[in-house]
Amino acid sequence: MAVAVTMARMKLAILRHSLKGDKGTMMASGGTLGLVLAAGTIYLAFLEGDWLAAALAVWMLGWIIGPVFSGGGDETLRPEFFSLMGLPPWRLAAALLVSAFVGVAPVVGLIALAGLVVAATSPVNALVAVPAMVLQLAVFVLLSKVAVALLGIALRSRAGAIGAGLLNGVVLAFLGQAWVFAVAFGQGAQIPEFVRYLPSGWGLLAVQGDYLGLAAMVVLIALLLAAWAGLLTRRAGANRPSTRGRRPMRARNGREAVVAKELRTWSRDLVRNHQLTFALAYGVFFASAPLVLGWTDMLPWAAPIFIVMAAAMTSNLYGTDGTSLWLALMTPGSSDVRGRQLAWLVTVGPVAVLVAVACTLITGGPWAVILTATAALLGGGAGLVPLISVYALVPSTDPQKRGGNPLRTSEEDGALTGLAYLAMVLVALTGAPAIAVATLYGWWGVAAGLATGALCYWGLGLLADRRLTARGPELLHLMRTGRRPESPKPSAFKLPDMPAAHRTIVMICWVLGAIPLFPQGVVAAIMVSNGQLRHSWFLATYMEPGLRWPVALGFVLLGLTMYGTGLWLPHRAKKKAAAG
Amino acid sequence: MTAALEIKGLAKTFGDKTAVDHVDLTVPQGSFYGLVGQNGAGKTTTLSMAVGLLRPDSGAAWIFGSDVWSDPGKAKQLVGVLPDGLAMPERLTGREVLTYLGLLRGLSKEVVAERVEELLSVLELDSAEKTLVIEYSTGMRKKIALATALLHAPKLLVLDEPFEAVDPVSAATIKTILRGFVAGGGSIVLSSHVMALVEQLCDHVGVIDKGRVAAAGRLDEVRGTATLEDRFVELVGSGTTATKGLSWL
Repeated sequence: MAVAVTMARMKLAILRHSLKGDKGTMMASGGTLGLVLAAGTIYLAFLEGDWLAAALAVWMLGWIIGPVFSGGGDETLRPEFFSLMGLPPWRLAAALLVSAFVGVAPVVGLIALAGLVVAATSPVNALVAVPAMVLQLAVFVLLSKVAVALLGIALRSRAGAIGAGLLNGVVLAFLGQAWVFAVAFGQGAQIPEFVRYLPSGWGLLAVQGDYLGLAAMVVLIALLLAAWAGLLTRRAGANRPSTRGRRPMRARNGREAVVAKELRTWSRDLVRNHQLTFALAYGVFFASAPLVLGWTDMLPWAAPIFIVMAAAMTSNLYGTDGTSLWLALMTPGSSDVRGRQLAWLVTVGPVAVLVAVACTLITGGPWAVILTATAALLGGGAGLVPLISVYALVPSTDPQKRGGNPLRTSEEDGALTGLAYLAMVLVALTGAPAIAVATLYGWWGVAAGLATGALCYWGLGLLADRRLTARGPELLHLMRTGRRPESPKPSAFKLPDMPAAHRTIVMICWVLGAIPLFPQGVVAAIMVSNGQLRHSWFLATYMEPGLRWPVALGFVLLGLTMYGTGLWLPHRAKKKAAAG
Repeated sequence: MTAALEIKGLAKTFGDKTAVDHVDLTVPQGSFYGLVGQNGAGKTTTLSMAVGLLRPDSGAAWIFGSDVWSDPGKAKQLVGVLPDGLAMPERLTGREVLTYLGLLRGLSKEVVAERVEELLSVLELDSAEKTLVIEYSTGMRKKIALATALLHAPKLLVLDEPFEAVDPVSAATIKTILRGFVAGGGSIVLSSHVMALVEQLCDHVGVIDKGRVAAAGRLDEVRGTATLEDRFVELVGSGTTATKGLSWL
């Protein structure tokens, strides 16, 4: 137990140090968002039916797949730190489990699990809820750890990396399209029975009088702990690429050499294998899910979705390669950006075209729009990926220094996720003009798509190249130290100095303001005016006739207020700073 | 004669810590220059700024008269660099890294193939033909980095801790190569905190302490009648470290 307490204190100390600065803001915003979700969960516990069981199932899924998309989960204390201590694996696992309870996410999880107290069916069961909460949280945390460890093992071989990418893509697409399956199985308004019996529901069963749930959780925790301990012993050492066949390099000049280097990296780096397989699986499965309902219109969009996802996954292109940028700095004029663009296009392009043609053949069209989107997005992606990665580089751990968790390419996992979302939106935007032309004028769109694609490829690549030439040493310094060089004039995007609480409010307003304003406000209002009622998750369409307009307008107002607050607080702080 | 490397007033501050405080150094052509200093004294920062990998707050550096920051194309052609602890294109084999870099340097395909063959064999990396750089040991990494520095036949080598974690046999090979390079008219700057090594190899030495040059010049002038180690401790040490013991041993 002494080891566990020491580790927990160690983690607490690290967290205390990281509370300062941007990371602290990120933690605070994440924590606040988590608290909102936790409050929602507790609210569901008051409702009739299996709503709480469903919410807990979603929490469990979040614990399992969340780390996959946010850089390998909480790695504040890495197992490698303790490899020289000679602890037996199960003791190491147990101690790491205890320390895993220290942090923002577990606290938020525990608060959400307070819903179990609400759901308790008798005063005795309310007492039972206390151990049930702790056990349930342990189940979540351990499932998360085991999932990450399993994926880590999978990413040591190419087959594993591709398999994991496939599985993750399918799971995420399934979540995105869950409503399709809900409708298909005719359970739009009901929670399926089996949800109660998932491990996420065992705590709930216990507080409803079925104490077997507690015992089952204890057994599961023991099993998971044993599995995790076993996996930890296999984790030591860096991930190894599996490839052994070496084709000789046939490049004749600098640019071809960059392409050759990049193509070899794409095929040999298992993390990149995983990213691309994930993007492909996501695109294909997301677009084909509505086939369950007999609706085929989405299928041809598999290729465009794949391209956007691939760009998002690879948007930290320079960051992932780490400090090897020094070689490009020592060889000025070596057209590193152009080579990387070409390699990206050669890697993503053929697959995208193949998927586009195959899927459109199945549905018999619309050829013009899909080919337009494919051309425009490929060019946009090949232009934006290097541009984003030099302008918004997220410093990563050098490949040769990464630990036993191959998903962990950077210490700034939040920033990586943000970068991926940014890339997704921007790449989608590069496709918009040509797609609009194709919708209006048919085949003219393909010409427009080729033109905007080529323009993006050329122009954005040029911008990236210029930036790299001008700020290369600064980027290298950032990658070397993880710190941004202090610039004398603050960036326009940087928040001015203000109290942490205000920063948090501003972040939340910016991140979440769009939801009330657009889908729940503007879009819902359009639906109400068109008489489209009871429409998926647009709240206003479910209201009583007299409440529909007020609810939609209320959301618009809420969204506007959030953006207004997000602008006003920094403005006031800036003015204060200028005056002081 | 133009200096192989001329550094004037280089300075760099990180936050409120001054890493390099107006350093001046002159590396004459044909010299083997050793830069010594404690950990964190500013050796790596100085060398990074001198070759164009880190932008200085002030000051300038010239390689054979070409300004590293205003005329980087010319200056960087003349220098080969071995940085400490930076990544390589990790998913390539040693041969692929060198081929890639040679082509990037604008050499013809044939010249690259010839030089790569010779470098791999002299540095004894040809037995690991199918190994990716990410799988290399620390010593092998130093050797492949040295090969990348030598590939384009530079006139100046700037090597940051080239012997750290290198086994004695490989170290002997590297020493032979470096001595041959200087004998052929090349110039070398290397940083190290192993005094014996610097005494054995170098004819010039610069002592860096807390971001400043504590002493610089010909080896004999700097060390005088003492050994370099004694002179170094005298220059940078507080004088008491040697007498401190550990209470529990």
